[in-house]
Parts: sequence; C-alpha cells; structure tokens
Amino acid sequence: MNKSLHLLPWLLGLAVLAMLPQLITVKYYLHLSILALIWVIVAQGQNLIQGFTGYVSIVQAGFMGIGAYASTLIGLNFQWPLWLTMMLAPLITALFALATGYPSLRVKGHYFAIVTLAFNLIIVIVLVNYSELTKGEAGISNIPKPWGGSREAFYYLALALAASLTLLAALIARSRVGEILLAIRQNEDFVAAIGISAWKYKLFAFVISAMYAGLGGALYAHFQGFINPEIFGVAQSLDAILAVILGGSGTIAGPVIGAFLVVFLPEILRFADSFRLILYGLILVLATIFMPIGIVGIAKSAFARMTRRGGQHGG
Amino acid sequence: MPNPKLTRACAALALSLVAGTALAAEKKLTIGVADALTGGGAVYGLPQANAVKMAAEEINAAGGIKVGADNYKLDVIAYDDKANPTEATNAVRKLIDRDGVKYILGFCCSGSTSAVASFIGNEKAVMLVGNAAERSITTKKIPNLVRTRPPADYTGQAAGTFIARKGQKRIAVLGALDVGFYAQYVDSVERELKKAGGEIIAREVFSLKDRDMTPQLTKIRGLNPDAILVVGYVEPAAFVYRQAVELGMKIPRYGFTSGSEEQFLRVTTSEQMEGVWDLRPTELTLLSASKNGVAYHANYTKKFNASPSPSSPYAYDQVYALKAAIEAAGTVDNTEAVAKALRNLPVPSQVVMQYQPVDGKMFDSNGQAYTSNGAFQWQKGQWVFVEDLPSDSKAYSQFLSTLN
Repeated sequence: MNKSLHLLPWLLGLAVLAMLPQLITVKYYLHLSILALIWVIVAQGQNLIQGFTGYVSIVQAGFMGIGAYASTLIGLNFQWPLWLTMMLAPLITALFALATGYPSLRVKGHYFAIVTLAFNLIIVIVLVNYSELTKGEAGISNIPKPWGGSREAFYYLALALAASLTLLAALIARSRVGEILLAIRQNEDFVAAIGISAWKYKLFAFVISAMYAGLGGALYAHFQGFINPEIFGVAQSLDAILAVILGGSGTIAGPVIGAFLVVFLPEILRFADSFRLILYGLILVLATIFMPIGIVGIAKSAFARMTRRGGQHGG
Repeated sequence: MPNPKLTRACAALALSLVAGTALAAEKKLTIGVADALTGGGAVYGLPQANAVKMAAEEINAAGGIKVGADNYKLDVIAYDDKANPTEATNAVRKLIDRDGVKYILGFCCSGSTSAVASFIGNEKAVMLVGNAAERSITTKKIPNLVRTRPPADYTGQAAGTFIARKGQKRIAVLGALDVGFYAQYVDSVERELKKAGGEIIAREVFSLKDRDMTPQLTKIRGLNPDAILVVGYVEPAAFVYRQAVELGMKIPRYGFTSGSEEQFLRVTTSEQMEGVWDLRPTELTLLSASKNGVAYHANYTKKFNASPSPSSPYAYDQVYALKAAIEAAGTVDNTEAVAKALRNLPVPSQVVMQYQPVDGKMFDSNGQAYTSNGAFQWQKGQWVFVEDLPSDSKAYSQFLSTLN
C-alpha cells in the first residue's frame, strides 16, 4: 500500500506528460517540453555523478556534444540509419568518458570539477577548430529528423527515453552499486577502508552519466536539426548542475523538476526583456541559498511535517 | 417627398459601409524580431531591433502597408536570442507558434541564424537576415529566406586587393578566427594578397570575450609585420587597437569590425584609433551616407539617444523590403507569394545601404543582397569614407550559386 502510494505521483506525472500533446494548443510549449525532456535525461546523468557520488562534473554538455556530433557525423558520412547512430552515440560518448574519467577521477573535490571543466573546454575547442569534420562554428544543419520532423512523435520518443532512463537511474540508486555511490559521497576513505575499490564505482557513475549526456546530445541534434559547438559549452554544463541542485540533488524526482525549470524559466522570463538574465540569475542565486536541498527536498520535509502533525492530531 | 424611413435606412447603410471600410482599412500586421539583445552580440543585435522598430513606426506614420483595400499597421515583437542557437530556435518557435508571426527579421549573428535557417524552410514564414555574415546561410537555396548583408568573403576579397595595393606584403592577423565568417574573410584576404606576392605571416586568435590581447600582440611585434589585420566584434577589436598603440606598434592597422565611433570610444581614445582602417561593406557613416542614410542617422540618434551602429540599417532595410514585397504580392497571408516577391524586388527607394542589384533585383536567386564595399579610416574622432573597394556582385552571386 505504502509502495503504491509512493508510485502514485510518478504515475500521475507520467499520465499528465503523456496527455500533454493533446492538451497543448500552442506548439511552442511542445517544443520547450521536448527540450525539457532531453534535459531530464542529461540531468539524470549529472545526478548520478553529482548527486549520488558527490563529484561535481562540469563536462556534461561536452559529452552531449560528443553524442550529438557522433550521431550526426556517422549518419551524414556513412548514411547509417538514424536509429542506429542514435544508439551508437552513448556508446561512443562512454569511450571518451572512460578515457577522461580514468585520470580525472584520481583527484577529488574541487580539483575534479576543474579537470572536468578543462575537458569541456577542450571538447569545444576541438569542435570549433576541427572544422574539416565538424564545420566549426558555422555548425551542421539539415540533420535528419525522425518521422519527417513531427514534433508530437518526437515528444513521445523523448518522453519514453526520459521515463526509461529515470527508472534506470532509480534502479541504480536502489541497488548495491547505488548504496556504494552514496557511501562514497558520505565518506570515500571509509569505503576504501572496508575493501571496496571506490574508483571503479566512481568511474562507473561517470561513464553512465556521460552515456546519458551522449544520448541527450543525439536527441537534441535530431530534434533541432542543427548543432554547433556553442550549444555544448561550459554554460550548458552549468545548467545541468543547476537542474540537479534546483530540483534536489541525490533524488530521482529532482532532476526531472530541475530540467523543466532550466528550460522553461528563461522562456517565462522573456517578458522582462533585457532584465531577463538578471532576474534568472537572481532566482537561481536565491534558490541555491535558501533551498540548498532543492524543491524535492523542501517538498519532502513539508510532507513529513504535515504527516507528523496529522499523526499527533490523530493520536 | 422622400420617405424619412428610407432616408434613415440609406444613411445607416452608407454609414455602416463607411465604417466597415474604415474598419477593413485599419488592420494590424505583427512582425517579429529575433536578435541578440543582451550579451556579446548585442552591439549588433540591439541596434538592429531598434532599427526595425523605427522603420515600422515610420511606415505606420506614412499610412502603413497597402494591400488591396486594406492598410496594415506594423506591430513589432522583439525577442532576445543572446546569439545562441538554442535560444534563437526557442525565440522563433515562440514567434511562429504562439504569436502567429509570419515575418521574422533581425538576426545579427551567424550561429543563431544558422540554427533558425535549418528549419525555416519548413515553416509558413519568411525570414529576413541582417548582419549575420556566415556564407552558408544563403548557399542552401532556402526559398523563404533572404539576407541584406553580403557574406564576409565577398568583402574579404575586396579588402585583400586594397591591402595589397597599399604595398604591404607581410600581414599579421589577430582575430576571432574560430568564428567561421571571420576566418572566411581572412582566407579571401590571403588569396588576394598572394596574387600580389604578399602573405599572412601569423594568425593569432582572440575569443569574443577576451580583453587582454598583449600576449598575441607581443608575439606579432616580434615577427615584424608590415601591417596587422584585426577581425572580430567591436570590443575586443577596440582593445587590440588600443593595446597595439600602448605597445608602441607603429604599423598600419586594418580591421573588419563595423563598429560605430561611440562603440569604439567606450574602450579606446580617438588618438589611439587615429589612422585605423575598417574594410567592410559600405555601411552607414555620415560621410558615405546617402540622403536616406543621413536622415536615418538623425532619426535614430534622436529616438534612441545614441548613434546607430554602422550595420544597423541592414535591419531597417529589411522592413522596407518586406513592405515592398507584401505590396507587390498583394497579400500578407500567403508567405510563399511574399517570399517570391522578395526575390523579384527592385531596390526600394527608402533603403539606407547602397545595394548593388543583381539583374536589377535587390536579392539574387540565392536570396542574397550585395552592398558595395568601402575603405573607412578613423580620422579625428570619426570614421571617414575614403574610397569604394572593387566588388563584383554579379560574379560573386554566380559563385555563391555553385555552393551547397
């Protein structure tokens, strides 16, 4: 019964999201919802390394870029089917993550963040300068879109992938691996002291996180039909971090809420014209200061307070 | 004896017809602007958005756009795209899907413009691109896209000939070379220099947010070049010119920036700018301006309490081109007809830039317009138009048609 109650908000949320294309009359909101669902995938990946393992990675957008360019370039140069290239994108990103994660996970804390930041910068520099392959800053356009560019169909694809990968993240979090990741976040030395090779689990979290980003990047490329290096810069990696913090770090629902916020909030604030970015920045700063446990954390403590109070009245 | 009831009925009918005509005459056409209103690209995007608003007000004051019996007054919605591809896509989706806009203007910056250009061909909308100079924007033969600014390499070719004619052989380049159209400009300059026995001896890079270019300049000074060529956004270019003087470099300084006097003087002094060349499309400067240009400068300055940037008329001209195309097509709803009319349009008399029509039309078959190119020099606090640069719009148009 308790388990069913726990699942109820998820099922309700999924039902609302499934009905969204029928409820939305203005397609612009459908467009934003697709972007938000792509960001759910990216943020769930970020949450694995940042929220569960306690390592803040600033390369998530860079990995998105690898996935986006991998799927696009393989598709355009070898005429491979779109579905195959999209499936290959996270695998190729995983190879890059293995190569970068192995050395960078030897350092901890801020140093790890700085190393991953450098990786993101390098990825962008390579994308800009290896223009024979990537077309540089001008970018690649006319990237094939599935179903003739139908946004409704793409929405359901993004929803299915976002829901499946959220479920996968929840399964990882509840598994023994997830418990070890949490233990690493709490006390890495202690984990090592009981004979667990922490680095293997950190590398696992980092690579899986990158695979989420790689798939998100491939989805982005085939949804927008255009990519250039600017889309995958450090600013977007910071957005992934913010999505996790705003929603609730180390929770499964947090990245979902956070992803919708980082996509919709700047758009909602368009009414403020040139003050939009100031307002956006202000909201983020205030939210980080006053809601360090994120929206999900606040909702959970409010719910706990209410049920305690309810219990006292009942007793 | 007239029947009073019939008279009243006739009067009422006549009144309703007049009122009906008046109502039909007063219609609103909303046009959209997607441009960089904040961030690094705002030096180009914000003046463009202002220029569109000003042109719309002028057109409204002169009676609007006449389509059959109707008179359309223009209403402008401007959204910030921060010169970012995702933001630009979101802004244009909002304009088309939510606001029902069919005509979208502005577009100062290449990355964001390319992102929108990649899907605009599937929309019932017309996209008019301004300052974005990346060549590939008009090589894809998108039927509902036109651009008022010529591609960067069209200007680079003319600039290279000019530098070679000045006798400088060894040129050091410092610029935002990771931005495609700046690299295309430099490549064109290099091709022309080589024809005259010259060469580019260094290609140093700055990013659009860099402000200290002394390391690159020190390296360039060590190579002892005959001149430097600076290509990039206004602010970093202004820092290069200033720091070159501070480092004691007394060689000719050429540039490709399109910044106004006011924009440069925020960073550098007039003395530090003295003698700098800007080799660019013949954009707005008071000394090179036509009668329209002088009026544009005065009206813009009065309205916005700031001088217009030289490239801002690209957007101003978009509005008049759109007006002429809608009137020629005789419809505001059929965007295909308006897009077709744009391709067949002679240069409207109200435009500010000095266009070089191809086969008598403002836009060629690629949707590309061409202005003349000019050599401008900073003299005593202002850009002075010195001479036209040799530019063959028809030959370039044919070359552009061969690209994909």
